[in-house]
Amino acid sequence: MFVPFFYTLRDRGVAVTPTAFLRLQKALSLGLVASLDDFYIVARSILVKSERDFDTYDLVFAELFAGAEAYPAEGVVLDEVARALLEQWLKVPADLAKALGLSEKELRRLSAAELEQYLFDRLKDQKAVHYGGRKWIGSGGVSPIGHSGNRPGGMRIGGTSRARTASKVALERRYRDYSRTAPLTRSQMGEALKRLRHLKPAGPRDELSVEKTIYQTMRNAGEIEIVFDRRLLDRLKVLLLIDNGGWSMEPYVETVQALFHHARSQFKDLSIRYFHNTITDRVWRDPERRSKPETVEDLLRRDPETRLIFVGDASMAPEELLAVDGSIMLEYRQKQPSIERLKTLATTFRHAAWFNPVSSSLWKHGETIGIIRTIIPMFELNLAGLEKGVRHLTAR
Amino acid sequence: MTEQNFHRFGGASRYVLDEELAKIVNVSMALEMPLLLKGEPGTGKTMLAHAIAESLEMPLIILNVKSSMKLVEALYQYDTLTRLNDSRFGDSSRDVSNISEYIRMGKIGQAFVADQRTVLLIDEIDKADSDFQDDMLDVLDQMQFDIMEIDRTVTARIRPVVIITSNAKKDLSDPFLGRCNFHHIAFPEPDIMRRIIAVHFPDLSNDLAQPAINAFYRLRQLEGVEKKPATRELLNWIRALQADPDFRTEALSDGVLPYLGVLFKKSSDLEKAGLVTAS
Repeated sequence: MFVPFFYTLRDRGVAVTPTAFLRLQKALSLGLVASLDDFYIVARSILVKSERDFDTYDLVFAELFAGAEAYPAEGVVLDEVARALLEQWLKVPADLAKALGLSEKELRRLSAAELEQYLFDRLKDQKAVHYGGRKWIGSGGVSPIGHSGNRPGGMRIGGTSRARTASKVALERRYRDYSRTAPLTRSQMGEALKRLRHLKPAGPRDELSVEKTIYQTMRNAGEIEIVFDRRLLDRLKVLLLIDNGGWSMEPYVETVQALFHHARSQFKDLSIRYFHNTITDRVWRDPERRSKPETVEDLLRRDPETRLIFVGDASMAPEELLAVDGSIMLEYRQKQPSIERLKTLATTFRHAAWFNPVSSSLWKHGETIGIIRTIIPMFELNLAGLEKGVRHLTAR
Repeated sequence: MTEQNFHRFGGASRYVLDEELAKIVNVSMALEMPLLLKGEPGTGKTMLAHAIAESLEMPLIILNVKSSMKLVEALYQYDTLTRLNDSRFGDSSRDVSNISEYIRMGKIGQAFVADQRTVLLIDEIDKADSDFQDDMLDVLDQMQFDIMEIDRTVTARIRPVVIITSNAKKDLSDPFLGRCNFHHIAFPEPDIMRRIIAVHFPDLSNDLAQPAINAFYRLRQLEGVEKKPATRELLNWIRALQADPDFRTEALSDGVLPYLGVLFKKSSDLEKAGLVTAS
């Protein structure tokens, strides 16, 4: 009975370790658990290590032990319905606009989160009709339009279809990442800043530290011990390239900008440029990507010690990355395929990193993510990823 | 909230430990595992450790973690300066050639060598770096550490009850979490908040308290606020309201909220709050 509990929790994304599970068994054998209520509390304190997972735990517990319905009609299921619907409709923007009673133009202005909320609110209104709508969605079939179709805003789901749940799972994951704390959020700004502070060069240890020398000598009871500190080096130049095209990136652009602006004083020079999906011949100084282009050739003339930081989901139609005129900007003809541009950038600036808000567990599903990763080291856009990326950027 | 306030709040005889928490404490003790308490600042994590110590009738040893702290400081200190001084002037009763006379136990060391079972509170563990955290759990796991200078191993006589607190801000490492039991203290509900306020302001009339609490919880609901006001801010706010001779309690119900700066510490938050109350 408890083994399914363990696996269900894991399936729902609560990182329960086998050790923790064995510990629960031990607690049971010690006779500490007298009732189901006890079990609920004890198991939670042993198995679940974050309050973010408490909700999931409650759900699983109710499902397995209390005989409650697996999915309460409120909340969770509606969320999922909203996501599934949204995902499906996004493939045909005209339908979506019609379904929501918006014009396509209005629709384009909504961010993904807003859109989801909008849809969600709508669904709630219509609860009577859609009650228990999971099945309805399921049998509705998934529109077969591929992921290189032409959609406004470009919310793309990389990779191949994984049967019925594929689209749902993929999109669900990405949205959960939006709403939950996994990728970077405003509230984590302080922590993220701390990570960025390490983004400074380290010189060799060849500067005498008088203070530490005295301290160590005292500790040695008079035996002199000389302590060296790292030499201070000049601060870093940072070139930040942000993918601000499309809904998928919207929640992060502001956060990333704010993050680097806060850290600005620590850099010698910080320039922010914008691109859409991938680097073609130009990047833009203005977020609208309209009036102030800068050619990649100009970028390449910068100091090669500049730290090159990409922020983007690296998800696009493969031809956009690989073909000469794959750019979705039809009015503009490229000179080189984007992938060559990325390679040139990566060889010119030896310290480069790509931060991706898409969870790394999904990277293998995105073809273009896989390709870009081989050119530029990729890290998740969350606290752990930032830490790793900064370490990579400051390594010699 | 200070310890003193806590004593007023419950006292050993009157304070009833939250049933859920009591169970978790018992399990942690039985499994001999540290208990990690997380929660927003101002939810009384530290206070709960005091309550646990009191209801278990054990002495409480508090290790206040600081960001620059090294683990060895929490274990023991080798007082080289005193030794140097003694060897130079030789006017103390200590034996200079005996290093162990200059070893002082740190907080964790004290808990290990205590004659009776103690409650060891490790406060605000998230301030320290992750090396400190992992190394500390090694020590707590094995219940022993070495004093290098005198080549002695200190082993805990009686395993202390270890309570660790952390502000929810920072994620602790997975290995660390794996070795702890976990409990998250939710922000107090309004009726509990009323009781907390009653502890701090025994003479406060309900006319002021209730509207203030209502306004406070309404303000906590505000979207996009970076630093939500916590219990501490509410208490200070009430203090400010009381101090103002011109303040009328009816104003609160009318939606006039003075001294918002006491509740919101970030200028962007204050602006947001100001907009809401003005409209």
